[in-house]
Order: sequence, then C-alpha cells, then structure tokens
Amino acid sequence: MSQLAESVDTSVPTVGTGFSGWLGHIGQVLSELPEGYRGRLRRKRRQTIIVTILALLGLTYPVIHQYFLAGFSRNVFPLPLPDDTVMTFMMIFSIMAVGLNIVAGFAGLLDLGYVAFYAIGAYVAAFLASPHWAAFGINIQFLSLHGAGQSGIHLPFWIVVPIAVIVVATFGALLGAPTLRLRGDYLAIVTLGFGEIVPLVFKNLSNVTWSMALGPINIHLVGANLTGGVQGINPVDAPFLPILNVVFDARAGFLPVYLGIILMLLAVLVARNLQYSRIGRAWIAIREDETAAEMMGVNTVRTKLLAFALGASFAGVAGALQASYLGATTSDFFDFNISILVLIMIILGGIGNIWGVVVGALTLQYVDRTFLPYLSQQIQSINPALPNLAQYNFLIFGIILLFMMRFRPQGFIPSRQREAELSVIGLSAAEAEMGIPIDEETGQPIDVDNIELAPPGQDETGPDSRAPEVPGEGRDQ
Amino acid sequence: MDQVMQTIIIGLAEGLIFALVALGYTLVYGIIELINFAHGDVFMIGSLIAFFILAPSQAAGGLGIFPITAKTPVPLMIGEILVTLAIVISITALLNVAIERLAYRPLRHAPKVAPLITAIAMSFVLQNVGIIFAGSVQRTTESIFPTTNLLAGVGITGFEITLSQVFVAVVTIPLLVGLTWFVAKTRQGKAMRATAQDPDAAGLMGVDINRTIAITFLIGGALAGAAGVVQILYNNVTVWNLGFRFGLNSFTAAVLGGIGNLPGAVLGALLLGQINAFSDRFIAPAWTNAIVFGVLIAILVFRPKGLLGQQLADRA
Repeated sequence: MSQLAESVDTSVPTVGTGFSGWLGHIGQVLSELPEGYRGRLRRKRRQTIIVTILALLGLTYPVIHQYFLAGFSRNVFPLPLPDDTVMTFMMIFSIMAVGLNIVAGFAGLLDLGYVAFYAIGAYVAAFLASPHWAAFGINIQFLSLHGAGQSGIHLPFWIVVPIAVIVVATFGALLGAPTLRLRGDYLAIVTLGFGEIVPLVFKNLSNVTWSMALGPINIHLVGANLTGGVQGINPVDAPFLPILNVVFDARAGFLPVYLGIILMLLAVLVARNLQYSRIGRAWIAIREDETAAEMMGVNTVRTKLLAFALGASFAGVAGALQASYLGATTSDFFDFNISILVLIMIILGGIGNIWGVVVGALTLQYVDRTFLPYLSQQIQSINPALPNLAQYNFLIFGIILLFMMRFRPQGFIPSRQREAELSVIGLSAAEAEMGIPIDEETGQPIDVDNIELAPPGQDETGPDSRAPEVPGEGRDQ
Repeated sequence: MDQVMQTIIIGLAEGLIFALVALGYTLVYGIIELINFAHGDVFMIGSLIAFFILAPSQAAGGLGIFPITAKTPVPLMIGEILVTLAIVISITALLNVAIERLAYRPLRHAPKVAPLITAIAMSFVLQNVGIIFAGSVQRTTESIFPTTNLLAGVGITGFEITLSQVFVAVVTIPLLVGLTWFVAKTRQGKAMRATAQDPDAAGLMGVDINRTIAITFLIGGALAGAAGVVQILYNNVTVWNLGFRFGLNSFTAAVLGGIGNLPGAVLGALLLGQINAFSDRFIAPAWTNAIVFGVLIAILVFRPKGLLGQQLADRA
C-alpha cells in the first residue's frame, strides 16, 4: 500500500487557485498530453492503441450516426447502435457516475440518495430558464437570447450550470453536515431518506396539496404552486450558443451529444485533479481508516463535507443538462432506482476508477436504453407472449449487482487500490474464514509467506496489491 | 377529539403490522449488523401469495384456492385464513433463509457496505419477481369483515373499532409475545442473543453460528409472511412496490425503538403507526412518506441508539 501512496504523491499536479489557475491548469494538462501519451504508448502499447481507436470512434460516432446510420441504427444486428437521445443520456449518467465515484469511491461514503442532487440540478435549471415564474408575475431576462420576449425567468444555460453547481453543492454540504458522525450503513440510510424526500418535496409543493392543507386561501397569493407538482415544469429553455446560433435541444441531432461529451470530459478532468490533490488523498485516507487519517492531521469533518458537496455538484450539472436537453422536468423521473442505477454503474465499472465508472455508465445506459428494448423487440417478434425484457431492466440490473458483489466487487476496470482492499470479498466464506487468499488468475491459493514483491516504481499490478487482508476486519470498520 | 381517537385506532392497527416487519429488521441487524433491505420485499411477496390464495375468484386475479368473501361462513373463513397463514409463513420463511444462504452468507466477512448493496440488489430482484407474478398493477381483494362498530355495543359513539382491526390485533399480538418468549427463554433464543453479542465467542462456546443466523432469518421471514397475510386482509390491497414503503416504515420503527432491541422495535412500530395515521389524517397523505423519512433521518442523526437504547450500541 505504501508503494501505491508514493506513486500517487509524485504525480500531484500544481493546482492554482481561482479561475485563472484552472485555465492555466487545463492548458498545462493539454500541453502534457502528447508526452504522457507517448509514455503510455511505450509502456502499454496494445492497450493504448485499442483505447485510442475506441475513443476516436466514440468521438466521431455521433456525426457518423447522423449522416450515415440514422433511421436504421436501432436495428443493427446483433448490437443496435445508440441514437442521439441515448448518447446524450449516456453522457448525463457518466457525469453522475464520476460524481458519485467521488463520494462513494474516493471517500468511501455510500450515498444511496444521489438522485436528490440530480433532481435539484434539474429543478434549478427549470426554475431559472422557463416561463414557470410568469404565473407569479416574475419576469427576468438576462443574456438569454433564446428565451427573448418570453415571460418568466430566462437565464442562459451557461449561467444556469454554475448556479446549479453552487446550489447542489450547498445541499450536498447541508446533507453532509449532520451525517458526519454516522458511518457505513446508517449514512447510507440517511442519504436514501434524503433522496426520497427531495423528489417528494418537488412533487408536493404544488397548488393542489397546499389548497388542501390551507383551505380556501388564494394559492397564487401565497405562492403555492412552486414546483409544478406532478406535471413538473415544462417547457425549459434549451442550451443556446449565440455565436454559432445553435440550440442544443432534442431536435438538434448530434449537437447536444457533443455538449454532453464536453461536460463529461470536464467532469473527468475535475475529478482527476481532485483525486490527485491533497483533498483527494485525504478522501482516500479517511476511506481506508478514518481514525488513522484524523491522527495524521486530516480534518475529517471538512474532508467529508467537501466530498459530499463536490460529489453532489456533478449531479447538479447532469440534472441541469437533462432538464435543458429534454425541455422539461418532472419529479417522477427522480426515484430511488436512479440512485441505485448510478451505484450499479460505478460498481460495474470499478469503484474508485474514474474511467472505469465512465465506461460502466456508458455501458449501462446503452444496455438500458438501446440494447434491452431491441432485444425484447426481437424476442417478442418471435412470439408476442414472451416477456418484455425492457420492462424487467431492474431485475437484470439487480442480478448483475448481486453477481458483482459476490464475484467481482472491484468492478471490471478496477482501481488498483480498491482491488487490494476488496480482494477478500472474492473468497468464499470458508476460505475467508481460514484466511487463505486465492489467486484470481490461477485459482490456486496464494502462498502468503513467499510473495514476490514487484520492484519499486513498477507500474503494473504487483502481487502485493492483492495481499490478503485479515478476514473479519471489515466488520469493525 | 373523536377524530383523534379514531386516528389513534387506525394507527394502532397499522403499527401492529409494522411491528411484525420491524422485528425482522431488528433481529437480523442485531445478529449480523445488516440492514436487510430485501426484508420489506419478502413481506410484499408474502402479501402477494396471500392475495393469490385468498382472492375471491380467478376473475379477480387469484388462483381461487380459498376464495373467501364476506359471505363465507365464519368457521370456514377462520380455517382458510389459518391455512393461508401457514402456507405463506412457510414460503416467506424459507425464502428469507435462501436469501441469507445464497446472497448474504458469502459476504459475511466483506466490508459492511457489500452485504448492504447486495440486499438492495436482492430487493430489486424480489420486486421484479412480484411484477412477473402479479403484474405492475395494484391487486385488490374485497373486505371480508363487517364494518359494524364494535364500540357501539358498549355505548361509545363518535369513533369506532371494527372487526378487521380486532383481527389484526388477534393475529399480531400472539406472534409478538411468542417471539419475545422464544428469544428470552429458549435455548435457541439464548444462542441468538449470544451470537448477537459476539459471534466469535459464541462460536467458541459451541453455538452453531450459521444455523443460528439461518434461524434468525427463518423467524424474520415467518413474521414478514404473517404480516403479509394480515396486510392483504386488513388493507385489501397489495402491489409489487409495497415492500419499499412498508419496509422503510418498519425499518424506521426498528431504528426508532433502538435497532437490535425487540421491545424497542414493537414500540417504534406503534409510534410509526401513529405518525402515519396522524400525518394521513391531519397533514396530507402525500407528505406522509416525507415525514417518515424525516423522522428516520432525525433519529439516525440525533439519537442513533433509538428510544430504548441499542443492545449493540458500540458496534453500530
């Protein structure tokens, strides 16, 4: 483990403060890209080439799809191709997966109510860029050419997103503050409760409920239909870029997909910087051992609050993007399933590994929105009486999650450090009880006393990263 | 005042059903420190099976095994309910044991959140099993109890107790008493308490840990099944996602009373029944869930050991 920590230390980028610091940093990252790429190409030639090809395919696919594949892409045998809406949602969920990975992956705080922040982000966008407030006589327009001439509040998407980030981060900190003393499963339940309450509040703060509670009071005077109730808020302004005069809505083909890709890459960049920064190392330290981290001078209160706030803010971006892209938001969309779906994404991809969770999110959204509907369509074309698999998507995801936790809790693209911690789960109960770790590749018991240590500095996963943990230790965390 | 009394009575009946489910949470948490997220869904499966057995006819979606209606002769009705209870309890008890054996036992030494996530996954699987068998619509039966006010006989008017509420009490209270007796007085109950205190030490003293945990799940599943039968006869409705709401109410009850503490779970459930009933009646049913979650968060944050204190406070 110490070896890992050192290798993390050496790669800390210098993060400046403020906006200019960030801009400079992005420039630095970009300028270091060719050098880093060449180094990676030397070390892992095949993997790098495959990843490059896949990335280029992914980046050009939305255009190719629009000009060459649209119309029949959903019926390509055996793997139907995603369309613009599906791709945009793949990006939205990737952003959320990257955010939840900060809370649950880096800091190890299981958040089962992540959907709350997604919902808040969506409603912030809906409140700030829709005719909703016209009913209250509030009409504010600010730099929003898209919403020009309309009543209600209309702010441009590019201002809505930072506001959504701030609002959602504030709610993240508000949720985090009282839960700091809680550990593990209690924290999970508190966040779950929060995740249930938030959509309920959005659903219930409408005139119907309030007139029931308050009797014959003029609801418009007390401002009761705050959230649009069950119908939600509709329409919401789409993102609009005045320079190019383009609107990023559902009719704009591949444009919103690229908006999503850019936001997703930004999210990844921010998350990577956080991971290797001082706060990122503090997160990992409290995940490993909170008491020890505190002894070493980590301010656990501040660290956890930041994990909640920063992790949540990604969902704010995702929510704002979703509401603006769809042009509407309703509370029904934000139920418990979404929290668990994002959790499955990061577990499937490899909790703690940023690119792993992105791949997990892309895969699951594709499966959920394109592959399963196609598969059930094919099955039902054979016999209409056969089950509609798309209806049972959460059965399939539940089974995937069961098998992941049992056989591969570190995910398919694991973070090396998490893999080391979780390796004991892969053992059967009897093996774990006896404390004999099994080599995953050979299936043979590992001879704990004669492990060959990898030479220091070697980048490959050495045998030591799978070193056995003392069984039963997890119980006392 | 009459409204308040009536609300208390409604809350009491609901609270007794919560108690049966809450005991399952508290037993399992007490012994392996797992929030058995799938427990509410075991209850839901129980209520669905009871629906299929008891629904008045195949036209109503049931299997027509014991089609009971309000016109069924009372002795036959009692017999059919008892047989249904036996069938449902057996199925849910074995289901719960199977879940423990297949899903939770392999993860017993994993970090604490791994079995919790597994339990959530199991909850999703069970909900979908519910959809497969019963569809995604609400399934309703007709009420078999007369709606006459039993209090009218003793000269009280203004609020009422009906036979259905008496039925809930008649089924649940003996089960609650029986469970308390089992844990407090029998050899197996002692093994359960020992395992809850310190599994390793209990194992060294000759307690078969795996068997004890299996029996805990067996009892929890049985109580959930009984609650399922009572639920379908009392509320006359069940649906695939009933377990989520009911389970979280019951879990909140267990936490409110002090998780791991059996009398605490019953007390918490009775309070939760009141909170539900009063919120439904005096605030708005749409807010009830939010209020229950608010209570849950407030207890976990401000008094995590619950009202009666936790038997296992130091380990939570």
